[in-house]
Amino acid sequence: MFGYLRIQKSELLVREYEAYKAVYCGLCKQLGKDYSFFTRLILSYDCTFYAMILMSLERSCKGFYNGRCKCNPLKKCQYARCESDSYSKAAAFSVISAYYKLLDDLSDSGFFKRLAVRIIKPFFKHWHKKAVKRYPELDPPVEEMMRAQRDVEARDDPEIDAAAHPTAAMLAAVFSLEAKDEGQKRVFYEFGYQLGRWIYLIDAADDLEKDKKRGNFNPFNGIADEELQDYETSVLNQSLARAYDAYNLITFIDFKGILDNMMLYGFPSKQNAVIYRNEEENNEQPV
Amino acid sequence: MNNPYDVLGVSPNASDDEIKKAYRDLAKKYHPDNYADSPLADLAEQKMKEVNEAYDQINNMRQKGKGTGSTGGAGSAGGYSSNGSSSQFYSVRIYIQRNMIKEAEQVLDSTPEGNRTAEWHFLKGMCAFRKGWNDQATQYFTTACNMDPNNQEYRAAMNRSQGQQSYNYGGYNTGSNGSPTQSTGCSCCDICAAYLCADCLCSCCRSGC
Repeated sequence: MFGYLRIQKSELLVREYEAYKAVYCGLCKQLGKDYSFFTRLILSYDCTFYAMILMSLERSCKGFYNGRCKCNPLKKCQYARCESDSYSKAAAFSVISAYYKLLDDLSDSGFFKRLAVRIIKPFFKHWHKKAVKRYPELDPPVEEMMRAQRDVEARDDPEIDAAAHPTAAMLAAVFSLEAKDEGQKRVFYEFGYQLGRWIYLIDAADDLEKDKKRGNFNPFNGIADEELQDYETSVLNQSLARAYDAYNLITFIDFKGILDNMMLYGFPSKQNAVIYRNEEENNEQPV
Repeated sequence: MNNPYDVLGVSPNASDDEIKKAYRDLAKKYHPDNYADSPLADLAEQKMKEVNEAYDQINNMRQKGKGTGSTGGAGSAGGYSSNGSSSQFYSVRIYIQRNMIKEAEQVLDSTPEGNRTAEWHFLKGMCAFRKGWNDQATQYFTTACNMDPNNQEYRAAMNRSQGQQSYNYGGYNTGSNGSPTQSTGCSCCDICAAYLCADCLCSCCRSGC
């Protein structure tokens, strides 16, 4: 996951924005507590979204409390208190996906980056083991995604749906874990699938220029330049539209306003920013 | 059943107008058209039913003096009409209806090259759509429409897919500075539609004269 699941700050209420920040900081704290100070660095907006969904489904957020930011002791933060294991689960998911991302980097990046990855890999291996021990069900989907992704990219000229399938299926499997019955499972699967597909495709659109330069695989490679933006828009719109339809069938208890904001404003505006290379996003400030 | 006010997401002392608005918003959200080809169609339909029942229940409870209208039977979602048993791919349609996509695809893939009609392409598209393979689905729908331009069923699936591709979220699709292509508000689709409409009117007149 790559940091595309953002809020649209300008459309949020101030209290909602504060709640979002409090979940973000809460997840950061959990990463520090469960693993190590350095795992705080892998904190992402994507996993914040995941934590938020988990918390919202169970109404496990029970108020807020004040504290200080560990990374910047001068900064005061609010933390969202959580009574279930949503934070730990999101933290474990962060660690597991970061670990596999690292393995992936090892096979396809430059000499210096590979060297750096070699150095930090043992630490991640240890944290990954810890995370898997806590949440064994989170590991297989991510592992399977990495394997399937390599297979797809090894084929010559796979269609765009096939290329997006591993990421989509991974997120579908991860979200399906939360379902309590068969109907819910289908809803979560569809939501995860289309959202995962959207994430993969927006990442591909983002990396297109870089991939072209280096001759790497990219699902948008074969599209003519003048059609590119319209094509990207239509493909991404459709995934988001279907994810939103599934999203509407899930009962979210808390943070509904924030989640709606992300689905309706945050993601589309991120999408436009990527497709139209709109660098000055008013959304870019760190939370 | 749950508290009808909770179902509509309003407080028990909300005004009639607020309730009506909440009902309308939800009805729009769960409208069968949004889920026509989706694997979640049945669940959306059920949700729609709950919303309708809740609205009726609130109306009944509040119906002391004035008579507020009821929902007007918006729930007649039903599966879209399959072409019936005359269809060559009847079993495939059944499989798709039951969400047994693998089985449906097996039957389709074992169809010899020569028998791959417009319906075959349409059903391939449906399978792809159910799997979430949107791009492939659109391609199959397009082929089906090209092979049989008069078929309403194929055309409808195609239109829905295109509708999702140009879906405009809360009228806020322009990003921070907006894109030139999106702010114009008249896509080539609109032009086509306008042309078709105009064409209809023309032919109408001619046959009338």
